Amino acid sequence: MRTLKLMAAATVAALLAAPGAANAQESATIGVSIPAATHGWTGGVNYHAQHAIDRLKAAYDNLEFVLATAGSPSEQVSDLEDMMATRNIDALVILPFESDPLTGPVKRVADEGKFVTVVDRGLAQDGIENLYVAGDNPGFGRVAGEYFRERMIDGGKIVVLRGIPTTIDNERVQAFEEAIDGSGIEIIGMEHGNWNRDDAFEVMQDFLSRFPEIDAVWASDDDMAMGVLEAVRQAGREGEMFIVGGAGMKQVIKGVMDGDETIPVNVLYPPAMIGTAIELTALRYVGQVPVEGRYILASPLITQENAEQYYYPDSPF
Amino acid sequence: MGVAVSEGRLTSPVLSAEKVSKSFGPVQVLFHIDFELRPGEVHALIGENGAGKSTLMKTLSGYERPTGGRILLDGQEVQFVSGADAEDRGVVLIHQEFNLADQLSVEANIFLGREPRRGPFLDSSRMREEARALLAELETNVDPQTRVMHLPVSDKQMVEIAKALSRKARVLIMDEPTAVLTANESRTLFRQIERLKREGVAILYTSHKLEEVKEIADVVTVLRDGHHVVTAPTSELSVDDMARHMVGRELVDLYPEKAPQPAAETVLEVSGFSVLRYAEDVSFTLKRGEILGFAGLVGSGRTELMEGLVGLRPAHGEVKVHGEVVHIRSPKDAERRGVAYLTEDRKGRGLILNQEMRPNLTLFGLDRFCNIFIDRRREEEALDQATQRFDIRAPHRRIHVGHLSGGNQQKLLLAKTMVVEPDIVIIDEPTRGIDIGTKQQIYNFVEDLARQGKSCILVSSEMAEIIGLCHRVVVMRSGRVMGELSAGDINENNIVRHAMGLSHNGGGRHDARH
Amino acid sequence: MTLATSAARQPSPPARRRINFSALGPLLALALLIVIGMLLNPNFLSYGNLTNVLARSAFIGIIAVGMTFVITSGGLDLSVGSMAAFIAGTMIIVMNLLVPSLGASWLVVLCGLGTGLLLGALAGAVNGLLVTVGRIEAFIVTLGTMGIFRSLVTWLADGGTLSLDFTVREIYRPFYYGGIFGVAWPIIVFAIVAIIGEIVMRKTPFGRHCAAIGSNEQVARYSAVRVDLVRLSTYVLLGVLVGIATIMYVPRLGSASSSTGVLWELEAIAAVIIGGTVLKGGFGRVWGTVVGVLILSFIGNLLNLAALVSPYLNGAIQGVIIILAVMLQRERSAAK
Repeated sequence: MRTLKLMAAATVAALLAAPGAANAQESATIGVSIPAATHGWTGGVNYHAQHAIDRLKAAYDNLEFVLATAGSPSEQVSDLEDMMATRNIDALVILPFESDPLTGPVKRVADEGKFVTVVDRGLAQDGIENLYVAGDNPGFGRVAGEYFRERMIDGGKIVVLRGIPTTIDNERVQAFEEAIDGSGIEIIGMEHGNWNRDDAFEVMQDFLSRFPEIDAVWASDDDMAMGVLEAVRQAGREGEMFIVGGAGMKQVIKGVMDGDETIPVNVLYPPAMIGTAIELTALRYVGQVPVEGRYILASPLITQENAEQYYYPDSPF
Repeated sequence: MGVAVSEGRLTSPVLSAEKVSKSFGPVQVLFHIDFELRPGEVHALIGENGAGKSTLMKTLSGYERPTGGRILLDGQEVQFVSGADAEDRGVVLIHQEFNLADQLSVEANIFLGREPRRGPFLDSSRMREEARALLAELETNVDPQTRVMHLPVSDKQMVEIAKALSRKARVLIMDEPTAVLTANESRTLFRQIERLKREGVAILYTSHKLEEVKEIADVVTVLRDGHHVVTAPTSELSVDDMARHMVGRELVDLYPEKAPQPAAETVLEVSGFSVLRYAEDVSFTLKRGEILGFAGLVGSGRTELMEGLVGLRPAHGEVKVHGEVVHIRSPKDAERRGVAYLTEDRKGRGLILNQEMRPNLTLFGLDRFCNIFIDRRREEEALDQATQRFDIRAPHRRIHVGHLSGGNQQKLLLAKTMVVEPDIVIIDEPTRGIDIGTKQQIYNFVEDLARQGKSCILVSSEMAEIIGLCHRVVVMRSGRVMGELSAGDINENNIVRHAMGLSHNGGGRHDARH
Repeated sequence: MTLATSAARQPSPPARRRINFSALGPLLALALLIVIGMLLNPNFLSYGNLTNVLARSAFIGIIAVGMTFVITSGGLDLSVGSMAAFIAGTMIIVMNLLVPSLGASWLVVLCGLGTGLLLGALAGAVNGLLVTVGRIEAFIVTLGTMGIFRSLVTWLADGGTLSLDFTVREIYRPFYYGGIFGVAWPIIVFAIVAIIGEIVMRKTPFGRHCAAIGSNEQVARYSAVRVDLVRLSTYVLLGVLVGIATIMYVPRLGSASSSTGVLWELEAIAAVIIGGTVLKGGFGRVWGTVVGVLILSFIGNLLNLAALVSPYLNGAIQGVIIILAVMLQRERSAAK
């Protein structure tokens, strides 16, 4: 089975993480290295990482965690070096800032015999990590594209807001374009909104000035969707188009749950995957169930019917 | 127009100018200048401010290009591309505002741009050795590793000369080298000039101190308004002749008739006044209509004392203005009490060189030109009045102050201070580096102030000025008052004895009865 | 008699009227951008588009007016973007906290506005005091506070996004989206701030003192200018203007996060320099700054409207135009 549902994984982890299940174990230190909270999604990553660590620490006395957040790839490399040099970690859970610059440093960690879990962004070289937990970026674009295709049977004009220019963004957009290919849906404008509300607001304002007719917007991210929504409201063109973001921000999921007309669906790309990864890694030291391999968390379409199970009111994201 | 005299000058010139002209836009500043400089000769270039001395020097040393005529080096026509190009050929100009990198060490400055290397690295031990040797030749004890910013002005001058020597200069051009030096330091400089001369270096220099020119120069060239007036052996010209050539008319007595004896009323009474590190327990009084001189060597704490008085430096002691004890914590406080201070450093502290005359003029007394907003018309009127009253000569009103000559800058600084109509004016070195004509105007102006019943403190290192103008003189040494001279006692001998600490009544508190 | 002296002896030579190209440079650049915009897209000069561009310029614009004073007096403030994010975050928290006790009312919004202004003044005062009393380089001080404000807002938001209570937001919303006579509030506020700024810079002793301090602090000190007070005032003024900008910003999206106001400081500084203010101080003009802000906004707008080049190159186009705008001025002023 290549894919594993997030909820299923979390359930496994929760079962094993139940207090009392722990025998006296050798103590282990797990390093967690993630990007700093520079936008909504990474904010969610930070929240879920902290959350998972708190939960596991409370349950198991033998687990130590080192959490480091980095503002840039080079900072993240320094974090790894510090973890190796001063904290003597046994395992590393890393969400790499960028694939290429971190491949070498993570490989050195693996070469030292440490257990390595890579999250979300794969390394540039195969076979370094023991465990890979990631969202499905092409799937993220494809699911959104399929929804557009279904909803706009007669075709139509849409605009697309892209994220920060990266491989992730390219994979998503490419899959989206493939999914709508031949459907009669025409992308009349595509600009970078950098996964940022303010940028998305301004880009959308300009799209609205430029195109008298827009049938739908693929904002490709919930932060951007919020900015787009505001621009559309300002122009008074709410009835004209629908907006699809992505990632699973709680406000958006709430809206989907309540049957919002303008943002009818969402595509999941859960920041909670970091928590899953940490828990799966911890299993090795508490449950003698060594988990290895690749876990690709699917990007399901969230609709009014299933929204409730993806709603975390306490998460900041 | 010029009368070139060349008897007794047998060697051929190393550097010469033939019919050199120079214009800046429509303004011509040099007119067909002929000029020759020979090896082993000390040649003085004199003239009023704006006569074209600096421009001629810059033209000879590659910083400016002539707009007419030619420059010859060893009899061959040359066109220096830049100052650096001229330096490479042995023609070095030492600017009045030194060209030193303040943050770098002395040795780094001396070898700047031509550092000795060992492979790809700086050869610092060689640099240090050579710098030390050069400085030793100049008889200074400057440490080659000090940063230039920490050096006094006179040492900076020595560093400049060392730098020139390190470049094997054949022609050394110095723009007013002694303006910032004390008598002693000047003496050292002259010894070096003599030595360089014996080695065959040609030296061209400017100075406003005509006695000094008479003493060390072999040949004098006088410029006036961009024209060559005369070139003659120094032995053939008296100081008066030089001044006459410069001004183009007979100079009546440089100093005006002394203002009448001051009234008995004391306007300023300072007692037990100290400025941290610079002045200790100073007491003196100033009367209405009086010009009180402060004499002493450079570094005797006079400037710092005055800066302390107007709140520019932390100080303590009792100050009474018109009999009332005042606490002056800032120049603003001082101004409210009718006390104003004119700094000695007109370029660094007196005027904003990259602004026009108008904002400079009104900066000190800006609130006098405001209701809520600054009244531009009133400012313009004030500028008209100031240019007339102080005879400020500028090519046009919008000129940046940095482009004015030193004399006109000084007059503008005076005008700026007078905008607040102070009762007590403290003037610090008002004639440093300016020409005789302007000096005379400034002296007249100070005298007028006294006649109008204002009081004036004149800080000056020029003895003649103190003697010629002041009713009374306080002499300072190392931050202390060494003595006070009045009326008939004011002469060079008495001042020098106090300044050098030779008199016996010095040592702090002085009886200020008059 | 020479030309120089004869001209000088005239007591008041007639002022020469000459077109000053270096002063007009930024205006010409703006005009050119507008012409290009008109040619590329007929909607460019439409009421809707102009309102959008001007309104979104307002944040950077209001801040840049304050920045003009700071830079003119020889200072610099790198913290304004983070400061705006921090103020926005705190305003939202304060308003959200007040909703249960005061209900969703105008009073809550007023408290939010007060918080914004007060916090701006305080943050500016912190920067100013560290620079004047603490005698630390402005670059270092504001680099430090930049990090501090940014971290504070991230911490307040728990790494996520702070959202304003929905009901308060509806009341507050007109602050950005409303207006009078069809002119949006942010544009009106920006215009008022710019006009007052221009008058203060040109016509008041404060503006004159800023230029004097930026040119030569020593001269200013010796000329009885209260250097530290003026310096401090420029930072406080800037802080208050950041507060005003944030007040206009919060109702736009009703949220603040750690990505709010990122790089605003550089945009504001760029606008100031494009407008002809000298980066090392001594000369500043507020109208130039306004033109600089508009140039920056119109470039972004144009690139979105026309899709001329690959979006990957948008940054490069902006960079080229910024450098060109400044270079043109330098060339002309050198030729003067």
